[in-house]
Amino acid sequence: MEFSELIKDFLDDADGHLAAFDGALMSLEQNGFNRDTVTGTLGSLHTLKGNAGMMGYESLKAFVHEVEGILKKVLDNDLELGQAMGLLFDSAHIIRNTLREIGENPRSKPELTEGIGLIRECLNGGASGLDIQPADPAAYLGTKTDTIKVDFKKLNDLLNLVGELVIYKTRLNQIETQIRGEVRNKATTKELKDGLDAMGKMIAGLQEGIMRARMLPVSTVFHKFPRMVRDLAKAQGKEIRLAFEGEDTELDKTIIDELEEPLLHIIRNAVDHGIEPPRERSGLGKPHSATITLSAGQESNYVIIKVMDDGRGMDVGRIREAAARKGLIGPDDQLSKEAALSLIFSAGFTTKQEATDVSGRGIGLDVVSRNISNLNGQVSADSVPGKGTLFTIKLPLSLAIIPALMTEAGGEVFAIPLSAVDESIKVRDEAIHIINNREVIRFRNRVMPVIRLDEFFGLSGKRPRRLYLVILGSGEKRVALAVSRLRGQQEIVIKPLDDTFGKSFGIAGASILGDGRVVLIIDVTSFWNGKVNCQEKVNACE
Amino acid sequence: MSNMKLPAAGLAEEILADYKEELKESQIITFNLGEEYGVPISQVREIVRVAGITRVPNSPAYMEGVINLRGRVLPVLNLRKRLKLEDCGLSKSSRIIVTEVGSKVIGLLVDAVSHVIRVPAGVVEAPPEEVLEVDTDYLTGVCKLKERLVILLDLEKLLRREKFETSDVEQG
Repeated sequence: MEFSELIKDFLDDADGHLAAFDGALMSLEQNGFNRDTVTGTLGSLHTLKGNAGMMGYESLKAFVHEVEGILKKVLDNDLELGQAMGLLFDSAHIIRNTLREIGENPRSKPELTEGIGLIRECLNGGASGLDIQPADPAAYLGTKTDTIKVDFKKLNDLLNLVGELVIYKTRLNQIETQIRGEVRNKATTKELKDGLDAMGKMIAGLQEGIMRARMLPVSTVFHKFPRMVRDLAKAQGKEIRLAFEGEDTELDKTIIDELEEPLLHIIRNAVDHGIEPPRERSGLGKPHSATITLSAGQESNYVIIKVMDDGRGMDVGRIREAAARKGLIGPDDQLSKEAALSLIFSAGFTTKQEATDVSGRGIGLDVVSRNISNLNGQVSADSVPGKGTLFTIKLPLSLAIIPALMTEAGGEVFAIPLSAVDESIKVRDEAIHIINNREVIRFRNRVMPVIRLDEFFGLSGKRPRRLYLVILGSGEKRVALAVSRLRGQQEIVIKPLDDTFGKSFGIAGASILGDGRVVLIIDVTSFWNGKVNCQEKVNACE
Repeated sequence: MSNMKLPAAGLAEEILADYKEELKESQIITFNLGEEYGVPISQVREIVRVAGITRVPNSPAYMEGVINLRGRVLPVLNLRKRLKLEDCGLSKSSRIIVTEVGSKVIGLLVDAVSHVIRVPAGVVEAPPEEVLEVDTDYLTGVCKLKERLVILLDLEKLLRREKFETSDVEQG
């Protein structure tokens, strides 16, 4: 972010805190002492102090610190509120003037040593008040702000409207293609097409603009964790530094909200189990204090969030043993490192006992995996024993509108979120083999299960000689969905299904296409839980 | 100002209004499912023809699917199946009654929509259990009008979601 933008943010924020301080003072003056009011305004001042320090306004920071001191004295009954009021009002005044000065010239570093000294003197009974110049009435108005607060629901409604607009635009485009052949006057059809194209660009711009307005920097979640890490680490006698990278990366607010819990689980696991106690670290020649790094960055239409620790890492061998004991894999199954690490996200690894077996990892990781899948994202782990562990979360930029692959199965159209699709291939029916009563396909040197979407959903359909396989990937896992036709990619607006449909296993929601038809969106997460035998599930629902 | 505690303003008017409401006749939309059924017109948003229903797999059998109601994905419930009556498929006269109950908007698939009738509050009687084919839990009552018998449905009870066991995995 540019320095000037930071200053603007700082001033906007500071104005808010100052207004809160002013409001609290007015309330204290009118209604007398109130502990909640004082503690509340201490919070505002504390943030203001922190921000001032961060922006390099050291003197302002020191001054606000003194003001906090006055209020704390009042709280501790060391100073009567009545005596402090004048001093507090004067302080608010000085802060206001200082902020104004910064607003006019951000590079200036207002000097407040005199004020700080006076506050100290006043508290010692040496002086009677601060030296205040008569105020310019305009100063009370504060600086002008370019930021407004908007109820998120309003933005949501707007995005929904744009979603509809996208649908109608697609419809118009289809009509245009249809009539192009029928209308003789080519000039008119060309004009129509140009008009539609221009409108399409506008709609795309509008859509992007609203999506942007809904975005928040990922720092809003990241900054919730330092305190937790500090407290957890302290309780366990560990020394951990939480570092951030790419905090400015922006994400849709709905995703930001949903991200908290998965990150909480991963970070807590890292603190509890990943990071060694300081003495053990020193013995290994590692730095005394451990580091957990939260980073965020954008890659095309996705956001990549990483949680990295420099702890003891995970022992793949022991994961394999635990998985074999649990029956998740056969005793002789040869698993790659990636495949083994992906096992920690399966539900079987959640109980405490297994978790301690696998270097204590795995608590709640199935919850993490499910939460991330619900966001149409993916999570994977990598680890080097002794060096540390890296969790990578890949998320779409937005939840409301996603790119999808449109497919046909059993005479119905199904949309598959593109984020889960690795590739799609055309095969002959003979290429599908049966192993252990399950259909599989050999592709790119691996054998993966084939799920016929029509059968999965209990739809009848002819067995085509040739079919298309849509390969879904999550970490190391692959599954091939067999469909009868591919209809191309399309941006779709996700609409949730009413709860009267129950769990509607395999369906994540619905979307309306340009021709007005309702299509269902496949819930790719339903194919990942290794324990679910899809055929059984369908039978159970019938 | 006296110290007497008065409820919110308009107390007398409110009571009066309620009283009038009780006396007032209600309007019912009636439809056919073999017998004549009815729902209050206040719960009905509109009535649409049946077209383009998308079935939702792995959902309760009485859920017919979803339709596109002017850009909204509207769930459609097959009322015959829900009331465990014999299913007789779609016909030309089949309609979807779009109802709004609480915050829920849902379409009810019926054989045919008949009339809007006015029902004075007095004619509604408790459902006679022994005569009716359907579960009386879902009924508010029956009203007898000359030779006709209209069975009044309690949509709130009917639409209350069946309890699905939610086996949320305990959080670690």
